[in-house]
Amino acid sequence: MSDRLLEVRNLTMQFGGVVALSDVNLHVSEGEIAALIGPNGAGKTTVFNVVTGYYQPTQGDVLLNNQSILGLKPHKIARKGLARTFQNVRLFGDMTALENVMTAADAKNKVGLVASIFGVGSSKPDESRSHSKAAELLTFMGISHRAGQLAKNLPYGDQRRLEIARALALEPEVLLLDEPAAGFNPQEKVELGELIKKIRDAGFAVLLIEHDMSLVMKISDRVMVLDFGQKIAEGTPKEVQNNQKVIDAYLGVADHAS
Amino acid sequence: MSTAQVTKKRFNLRDKFGDWWENATRTQRVIFRVVVIGFLYALPLLDNPVFGTTESDFASVLFYPMGMYAIMAIGLNIIVGKSGILDLGYVAFFAIGAYTHAIFSISFGFNLWVNIIFGMAFAMLAGVMLGIPALRLRGDYLAIITLGFGEIVRIVALNINVTGGAAGLAGVAAPPNIFGLEFRVDDAKPFYWLLLTLMLLVIWAYIRLIARRPGRAWEAIREDEDVAEFMGVATFKYKLWGFVLGGAVGGGVGAVYSSQVTSIVPELFTLQVSIMILACVVFGGMGNIWGVALGAALLGYFPEKLRFLSDTRILFFGVLMVLMMNVRPNGLIPRKKREKVYDKHSGQEVTR
Repeated sequence: MSDRLLEVRNLTMQFGGVVALSDVNLHVSEGEIAALIGPNGAGKTTVFNVVTGYYQPTQGDVLLNNQSILGLKPHKIARKGLARTFQNVRLFGDMTALENVMTAADAKNKVGLVASIFGVGSSKPDESRSHSKAAELLTFMGISHRAGQLAKNLPYGDQRRLEIARALALEPEVLLLDEPAAGFNPQEKVELGELIKKIRDAGFAVLLIEHDMSLVMKISDRVMVLDFGQKIAEGTPKEVQNNQKVIDAYLGVADHAS
Repeated sequence: MSTAQVTKKRFNLRDKFGDWWENATRTQRVIFRVVVIGFLYALPLLDNPVFGTTESDFASVLFYPMGMYAIMAIGLNIIVGKSGILDLGYVAFFAIGAYTHAIFSISFGFNLWVNIIFGMAFAMLAGVMLGIPALRLRGDYLAIITLGFGEIVRIVALNINVTGGAAGLAGVAAPPNIFGLEFRVDDAKPFYWLLLTLMLLVIWAYIRLIARRPGRAWEAIREDEDVAEFMGVATFKYKLWGFVLGGAVGGGVGAVYSSQVTSIVPELFTLQVSIMILACVVFGGMGNIWGVALGAALLGYFPEKLRFLSDTRILFFGVLMVLMMNVRPNGLIPRKKREKVYDKHSGQEVTR
C-alpha cells in the first residue's frame, strides 16, 4: 500500500535469550496519529529503537516510503524522515533552546566543515535557514520566549515541548513520540493532545507511545496494542477498548479456579 | 528555587563585559580588538620587574611555556572541551610536528613555512589513523587508547634511526628571515610573534567553526552522543574532524617549537606534556577558548615568575591549583553561556 509511510514487517528482536519483540507488524499511514500502547515492558520503546536504527533487529524489515532502512546509521535514518523524542527528556542541556532545534535543522543542510571556516558556499544561506526554521518551530510549539535560555534551565513542560520542536526540525515523514505526556497534569495533557493534532494537521504523521489512555483514545486515529512483545490488537480506539485480549493484558486474566 | 536567583544578581565581570560587547558599536569592537592584539604583540618589549620574569628571559618565557601552552590548549580544547573526547595523548601530535620539521629540514632542507604545512598534514593523518578505530569507543576506553598513542609515538621516536633515537636530532633549521625579522637562537621575540600570529589564525578559524554548524554538532555530541545521532548529526564524522583539527594545531606548533629549540629528543614528548596541556584546558575553563588561552598562559607564567623561590615554587603552584579548583571549579572563565530572556508576548529581548 502506497500511503504507508512507515512499515514494520515481521519484526523480531532478541537480546540474548530474551525475546523483546516477536513477529510484530506495524505501520503508520500518511496524515494519521497512530498510537502504540501496552503494559510496561511490552516492547514499545524497543520498536522505536529498532526503527530509528539504534538496534539491529534479529529478524524482519523496516520500510520508510517503501524503502528498507534496515542497517542504516541512525543519523541517516533521521535525515530520511524519522524523528523521535525520548521517554525521559534528553535535551542538549548546555545549549540554548534555539541551538537545540538548530542542531537538528542542520541535518537538512549541505554545508561542510571547510566551507564553514571560510564562510563560503552554502554556509551563509544554510545558517540562516537553520535559524529561521528553529525560530519558526519554537513559535509553533509556543516556547519562542525561551529561545535564548539553556535547555537545562527550562521548566519541565517546556523541555518536553522543546524536544518535539527539535524532532520536527528534521522535517520528518513520521514523528515518533515516546510518552510525551509523562509527568503532565490533566490540563497540560489536554493542551498536549491539541498540539499533537496540530502537528498532524501540519502534515506530519505521528506514532505515539503513551500510557495515558484518555489522551490516546481521544486523539488517535488508530491504536496498536503490544503485550510481551507481540501485537495483540489493532483498530480504532473504540474497537481496541472493547477487545477482550487488551482488557486481559491490562487488568490480568480472571482466576478460573474460583 | 534557590534564593540566589530571587535576590539581586551577583556582580559578574564576565556578564558585565558580555553586555558591553553586545551593545558595542562596530568601531568600538574594532578598537578593542586592535588594542588587545597590539598589547599581545608588544608584550615581549614590555619586560619589567613587575610583571616580567626576573630570573628568565621574558621573551623566551612568552614563547615557551606561555604561548606554547596557550596554542596547544586551544587545539586540545577542540577535542576535549568541544567534542568531549578525553585525549590523554595530545603530545603525540606535537611530537609528530616537531619531528617532521626536524627531519625535513635536516634531510631535505625544507624551510619551516613548508614544514608547518607538512607537520599539520602528518598530524592530521595520524589523527585519522588513530581516530577511525579509536573513536568508536567512548569515555575511559578512548582515554586509555589515546594515552597509549602518546606513548607509542615517543617510544617509536626513541627506537628508530630516522629520528636519531635517544640522542635525538640536532641542528634543526631556524625559520628563514621574514619582514626583516631574524630568527636567532638567542632572541625569542620573533618566535613569539610567529607563534602569536599562528594562534590568532587558529582562534579565527575556531570562532567561525563553533558559531556555525560544526560547533553545534560538537556541542551536541558532548552533551549526548546518542541523541545527537538520532537528530541527524553524523557523530562519527564530526568527532573525527574535531580530533584531526585539534591534532593539526598540535602538529603545526610542534614544527615551530623544534625550529626554536634546534635540537629535539624523545624525552621532550612525555606524558607529562599531555597532562600539563589538559590541566591548562581544565584550569582555564573547558570549552571556552578565552578561558583556555588565559589559563594556559597563566599556568605557563607562574612557575617562571616564582622561579626565585627555586624548588619551593612547585609548592606555591600546587596551592594555587588547589585554591583555584575550590574557588572556580569550572575554570577561570567557565563555558557557561549567557542566557537571553525574551518577552513571552512581544518576543523582544528583555533586559535584566
